[in-house]
Amino acid sequence: MAAIIQVEGVSKEYRLGVIGNGSLYKDFQSWMAKIRGKEDPWTKIGAVSKFGKRDRFWALKDVSFEVEAGDRLGIIGRNGAGKSTLLKILSRITAPTAGTIRMRGRLASLLEVGTGFHQELTGRENIYLNGAILGMTKADIDRNFDEIVAFSEIESEFIDTPVKRYSSGMYVRLAFAVAAHLTSEILVADEVLAVGDAKFQDKCLGKMRDVSLNQGRTVLFVSHNIGALAKLCNKGILLEHGTLTATGEAAEVIRIYENSLENN
Amino acid sequence: MKAAGNASTGDWDIVITAKDKLLSFDFKELFQYRDLIKLLIRRDFVAVYKQTILGPLWFLFHPIMSTIVYMFVFGNIAKIGTDNIPRPLFYFSGTMLWTFFATTLQKSSDTFIVNAPIYGKVYFPRFSMPIVYAVNSFFTLAIQFVCLLAIYVVYLVSGYSFHPSWWLLATPILVLQTALLSLGIGIMVSALTTRYRDFRNLIHFGLQMMMYVTPVVYPMSEVPARLKPLVMLNPLTPVMELFRHALLGGGEGNLTLWAVSLVETAAVFWLGMRVFNHNERTFIDVV
Repeated sequence: MAAIIQVEGVSKEYRLGVIGNGSLYKDFQSWMAKIRGKEDPWTKIGAVSKFGKRDRFWALKDVSFEVEAGDRLGIIGRNGAGKSTLLKILSRITAPTAGTIRMRGRLASLLEVGTGFHQELTGRENIYLNGAILGMTKADIDRNFDEIVAFSEIESEFIDTPVKRYSSGMYVRLAFAVAAHLTSEILVADEVLAVGDAKFQDKCLGKMRDVSLNQGRTVLFVSHNIGALAKLCNKGILLEHGTLTATGEAAEVIRIYENSLENN
Repeated sequence: MKAAGNASTGDWDIVITAKDKLLSFDFKELFQYRDLIKLLIRRDFVAVYKQTILGPLWFLFHPIMSTIVYMFVFGNIAKIGTDNIPRPLFYFSGTMLWTFFATTLQKSSDTFIVNAPIYGKVYFPRFSMPIVYAVNSFFTLAIQFVCLLAIYVVYLVSGYSFHPSWWLLATPILVLQTALLSLGIGIMVSALTTRYRDFRNLIHFGLQMMMYVTPVVYPMSEVPARLKPLVMLNPLTPVMELFRHALLGGGEGNLTLWAVSLVETAAVFWLGMRVFNHNERTFIDVV
C-alpha cells in the first residue's frame, strides 16, 4: 500500500505570551518608557527578554512518519505532548515552522463537533452548511442526506426546527452524523467522541471503523480513551514533549504508552 | 472524488510547507468550495432580516434617510451644487456606492477576528469569507439600485430629461472596481488587526474621513482648484464621478484619472492578497 500521508521533519514553534503587547497603544507606552529611561509598564514578572529563550516553545520537534491508505492511526500522548498541534498542522489550520507534509486526496478535520453550526438555522440547513464547511459539495450532501438524518436518530419532524431548540444530545448526534458521512479520503478526529452517550460513542467508533475497512478511508484519531483507541486503530504513534517516541501497531504503542505512564 | 494532483505538487494533492509560496493563490480551490460560499452568502443574507417585519426593505432605510439628511444639510444649508442632477438622485446614488464600499471594507477588515472560532477548527479557503461579505454588500447595492430606478422614473414621468452616457456600459466594471478596492484595503487591515486591535478603531474613523474626500455629497466641479489634487488622490473619486456620470449625466468622465485609479486598485488588491495569504497561515497562533 502506498503512503497517503507523508510527514517529514515537522516542527512547530510557538511564541509564548502575545506578539508585542497586543495593541499599538501598549507598544507605544513601552517605547515611551524606554525613551524616558523608565521601566516598561508592560513587562511581565519573570520574563527574561522579548526574544529570550523563555518566550519560545517547541510544541513539535522534527516529527516524521507515514500513514498508509486505509490505516486507522491512533495518535497517543499525554496532555501537552503535541497531539492537537499535529492535527492542526495536518488540517491546515496553522502552518508548521519547519518540515513538509504531503497528502493524497482530501482531508476533513473534526476538531470539534458541529463546527459552523448556526443556532438560528434549521437542522436541514445546518447539515448543508456544516457538510460544506467540512469540504462536501452540495451534490455529496444531497446524496447522503437521508442517511445522515437516519444516523443522527433525530425524528424527521425536528429536522426543520432551528438547532437552538435541540437538546444537546440531538445537537451532537446531528453534528457527528454529518461528519460520519464525509466523502474525503482522510478523516482527522480529535476527542470528538468525548461527547454523546456511550451507546452513540460506540456507534460512531463502529462507523469510523466501517468507513476505513470497507471504503479504504484513512482515519487519524486522537483520544485519551485507551479503550476507544484500541477498538478503532490498527496503527499508532506516540508523542512525548513534541517528539515522536514510538510508531507501529496500535496495541504495541498503547503498551509502551501505558508503561511510560506507570513509570512516572 | 478529486482528480489526482497537478504538476506543481507532483502526484500529491495537498502539500503543506513551512514557507508560503510567493504570489500563490489557489483559485481552483476556491472554485471547489463554491457550494460553501453560496451557503454562507445565503446564511449571512437571511440572518440580517430574520425576525424583522420589513425584511429586505431595511436595506433601503439607510440610504433613504441619508439622502434626506444630505439634502437638508448639504443641499439646503451648505448649498453645495449637484452638477444639475436632481438632489435626491445625486445623494442617493452617492450613498449607495459609498455604502457598498464602506460595508465591504468594514466587514472584510474583521475577517480573521470574527471568524477565528471557525478558522481555528476547520480548513476551507480563508478568502471565502471576504467574498461572502462583498457579495452580500452587492445584493444590498442591487436592491438600492432598484430604488434608484424608481426615483429615476418618477423624475422622467414628471418631465425631467436625463442624459445618461455610453459610460453606462462601464458601470459593472465600476462596481467591480469598488469591490476590489474595498476588499483590498479590508483584507490588508484584517491581517493587521490580528496583531493590533487598534486598527479596528482606526477603520471606523478612517472611513468617515475618507467619505469626505470622496465626492459623495458634492461633485468634483464644486471642489476649489487648490483642493482638487487631494480629492483626486483618492482612487474612489473617479469611480464615484463616473458612476454618477454614467447613470445620471452631469460631471464628466475623465479617462486618464480612471486609468490611474484602476492601476491603484489593482495594486491595493494585489498587496492585500499578499498580506492576507501570508497571514492566513499562522494568524490563529496570534489572534
